Amino acid sequence: MSDITRSFVCPYCATKCGTFEELKSHVVEQHKAQRLPRPEDQIRLTINGQEYSIRVEPEWTLHHLIHQKLGLTGTKLFCDRGACSACTVILEGRPILSCMMLAIECDGKAIETVEGIESKRHPLIEAYVRNHAMQCGYCTPGFITTAKALLDREPDSTEEEIRDALGGNLCRCGTYPQHPKAVLEAAKELNESAERRGYGSGE
Amino acid sequence: MDLANEERKILELMDNLRADRYPLKEYRHIGKRGIRRIDGYEKASGKATYTMDVQLPGMLYMRFLTSPYPHAEIKSMDTRKAEALPGVRAILRYDDPELPSEADLGGHAPSSVPILPRVAHFEGEEVGAAVAADSEATAEEALRMITVEWEQRPFLLDGEEALRPDAPLANPEEYPTGNYFNQGMMDVHELGDVEKGFSEADVILEFKSRRRQHTWVGPERPCGVFKWNGEYPEVWVKQQRPQIAKRAVSSWFRKVPMNKITMHAPYQGASFGGWSQTPWNLGGHYCAAILAKRTGRPVKWIFTRREDFYGGQTDEGIYYFKVGAKKDGTITSVKVRAVMSNMIYCVFGVAKHLIENTKIPNVYGKTEAVMVNKGINVPTRCEQNPNTHSLTLVFDHVANALGLDPTDVALKNDGAHGHDMAWLDQRKEEMGFRVRDSLRECIEKGKVAIEWDKKWHAPGIPNGRMHGLGFTWTHEWEDSVGSSEIGIRIERDDGTATIFGMRCDVGVNAETAYCQIAADELGMRMEDVFYRPQLDAGFFAMTPDSSTNMSVNGFAVRNAARLLKRKILEAAVNPAGETPRGAYPAAFPEHKPEDLDIKDSVIYVKGDPSNRISLAEFVQPMGLEGPMCHTPEFEKGAPKSNFTVPLFAHSWQVQSGGYSDTRPRLCRQAHFMEVEVDTETGEVFVTKVVNANDVGKVISWESCEGQQYGGTYMGVSRGLFEEIVHDPVTGVMLNGNLLDYKIATMNDVGPIETLLVETGMGYGPYGVIGIGEDVATVVPALAGPAVHNAIGVWIDDFPITPAAVLKALGKA
Repeated sequence: MSDITRSFVCPYCATKCGTFEELKSHVVEQHKAQRLPRPEDQIRLTINGQEYSIRVEPEWTLHHLIHQKLGLTGTKLFCDRGACSACTVILEGRPILSCMMLAIECDGKAIETVEGIESKRHPLIEAYVRNHAMQCGYCTPGFITTAKALLDREPDSTEEEIRDALGGNLCRCGTYPQHPKAVLEAAKELNESAERRGYGSGE
Repeated sequence: MDLANEERKILELMDNLRADRYPLKEYRHIGKRGIRRIDGYEKASGKATYTMDVQLPGMLYMRFLTSPYPHAEIKSMDTRKAEALPGVRAILRYDDPELPSEADLGGHAPSSVPILPRVAHFEGEEVGAAVAADSEATAEEALRMITVEWEQRPFLLDGEEALRPDAPLANPEEYPTGNYFNQGMMDVHELGDVEKGFSEADVILEFKSRRRQHTWVGPERPCGVFKWNGEYPEVWVKQQRPQIAKRAVSSWFRKVPMNKITMHAPYQGASFGGWSQTPWNLGGHYCAAILAKRTGRPVKWIFTRREDFYGGQTDEGIYYFKVGAKKDGTITSVKVRAVMSNMIYCVFGVAKHLIENTKIPNVYGKTEAVMVNKGINVPTRCEQNPNTHSLTLVFDHVANALGLDPTDVALKNDGAHGHDMAWLDQRKEEMGFRVRDSLRECIEKGKVAIEWDKKWHAPGIPNGRMHGLGFTWTHEWEDSVGSSEIGIRIERDDGTATIFGMRCDVGVNAETAYCQIAADELGMRMEDVFYRPQLDAGFFAMTPDSSTNMSVNGFAVRNAARLLKRKILEAAVNPAGETPRGAYPAAFPEHKPEDLDIKDSVIYVKGDPSNRISLAEFVQPMGLEGPMCHTPEFEKGAPKSNFTVPLFAHSWQVQSGGYSDTRPRLCRQAHFMEVEVDTETGEVFVTKVVNANDVGKVISWESCEGQQYGGTYMGVSRGLFEEIVHDPVTGVMLNGNLLDYKIATMNDVGPIETLLVETGMGYGPYGVIGIGEDVATVVPALAGPAVHNAIGVWIDDFPITPAAVLKALGKA
């Protein structure tokens, strides 16, 4: 955790600053430096709307960072080789496999995990519960993130598009037939609530 | 209907060798759709915690050295460089003085196996060393720095080769006298006289089949956490049978008392029996326990994805069939001999379903279990695969050879233990069941759904993509001798009910079903009942093994709920106590318990439903006078608060199951598969599957259907795709990952229609029978007759890969 909460130390005079912004203004004012040198292994990224500044080892995967270092354990590792989609997170709107992405590549990026989707009370969660779209539940968050990315991109997805999008998510319990039903229900709910609020799909 | 009478009825139904004599009159939650599953939100939102997610302060990560050779022993090992690597906190070696030569590491019965062996009997086996380090990556780096001097031994991969007299020994440590190790150990299942049966037959068929090794693929890798809280351990297990894990831990380190072990069995990324059944399944915990003690830190041990691939399902083998039948489809005799590889629990037979399920008078099944140098094969989703493999192939080969409809051949031979249906119907009646023809009901429903009469045809009609329709059937199974303890308590303050029991969740939604049973038995609302899993206070329940979850635990929950309801009603009519300051008055002083009932969590007088009090009001709020009293009346000047007695009931269920042939199988299942075969690529497309299962009585529709379509996906995957491949030259596994070992995706099976039949002929409460293992076990071999119907050639070699199809079509 020290990685995340460490204080910001001036590289010129070792003054401790509380935030990165404070350090930046200190460096500019006191040392007339234009730019703050940033350690090469320090990345800044946004996860579920919260900003993180963290030093990472070059070999850490994004999954390792999220699950092991940040404690967002909803993102599961199943195949460990980009074959099952259980570790899917949404990176800049695209569903990606966090076991195949290095953490250090995510500098400046915005990421959404299942925890973020849940905290927004996304209708996918309840639709999954209603439809029993889980058994052991280990791969379920990966389906949720994949489906969320699809609905963000294409709120009126057809069953075929949903099956296409979820075709790479492996579920050993074989819960597959329930997922398109759950995603269609969530999409319907999203679209209806958007209409009620006066935010149509623009068509 | 006093308490003693309830207890008598409970005992009467234990060892359930008869129909449930005391079902409910009305079901409000049992068998109703739309019940919210109690684990659903946790699992969908990523909040459900699995052992892999457990992180503790200062926790170390432990990994194992694995053998690069299929059969080799360690001559010497140098760990000095690894020990010097920064971040490595401790290394455990096979020659460590603290390691006993063997210990109980789980398994079906107490059994001793080596903890950190010196000899590897398959490539990839955990041997020689375990490294605990600050991170998994550091542990892995340290493992690469260990230098081992190996002495390689000759190895075997093929079961029939292992039978040859000049074959080397695959495992001289455990099986020093030969690779064929189960001779005379319940290896023969027999009925009648097969030779006499063959002499009575019009046709004799002989064929050979093969099932290649396939595995469980548990989404959560095998793992565990061991922590010493001073002298006493706290353990997290990914284990389908946590009570066995606790027993094993208790036997270690010159005994740790059961009452001093804290054990957690969180949600499990299922392994379908599989990993939980291997004799070494707590080996990681033992090593972690030693290193946790040495380092003073919690230790999490982890397998890699590849390490989870070693081992498989019990049906790997080569089967030889001889079948005799009359022209009308009556089967007179079946002889099966099968050479099974690495089948650890080899008493379940290869022809038992033909005995338990049919009127075939002469059956002989012999299991020749041999050791080879591959991961061991254990019951995975079930141990009945060899039996369903045999039954499917026998019936479909007979029907095809005689030009008969396989559904007719099934009905013609349905029965039990060599007797016909009239005999079985008599048994049903004697045991108090309504007499129903389970197989006929399953077949009739299934035929309509798959459009059998329209679509079934003689094998091999070429139309570009060849079309085929297959059928198979068997009995239900819920095999185990099971037992279970359950406690139910009415909470103070709000009157909700908490069920205490063990958790061994593998996703079948059993805990919701227990709540449904308790809600209906207690007369409570579904949302007022909750299942609270724990492993500390006892209440060890039956595990999902052998599909007996529901019948054993369902009975135990029901038993406890019935006793509890009786206690509530007695408490409602009796004053809670006579003290020097007077009595605590009864809620219904004018009534007897029999006058009352509970509905929607409200106690009411049956003759005057307006006279009512909710359970919450009855137990009253907790207050300043402690958890059992409330304050408002006291504050208003009453001499004392009201009080109700604590409401708790504890009960159990013990039952003898089908393994010991104590009761005939009454419920049946029928499955239909439609395929199209691409004659250019050899690919088999499963375009539709229909599952018809008689589960006796449905508790949770969605959960039963989940076992059907989920089992179909796993079954199709096993039947068409799944095979662990070893390099014959080096003995090394070639496809221990999910890129090279394919399992079914969402788009690999067409529509699945799930049909549930409720004949009430299950031995569990309300007539239920388990379903968890059935479909995934019966469906793999169903691919055989379906493909045969399409191409007109039998491919009795599973999985039925495109290469095998092309070969059968003469194109490769």
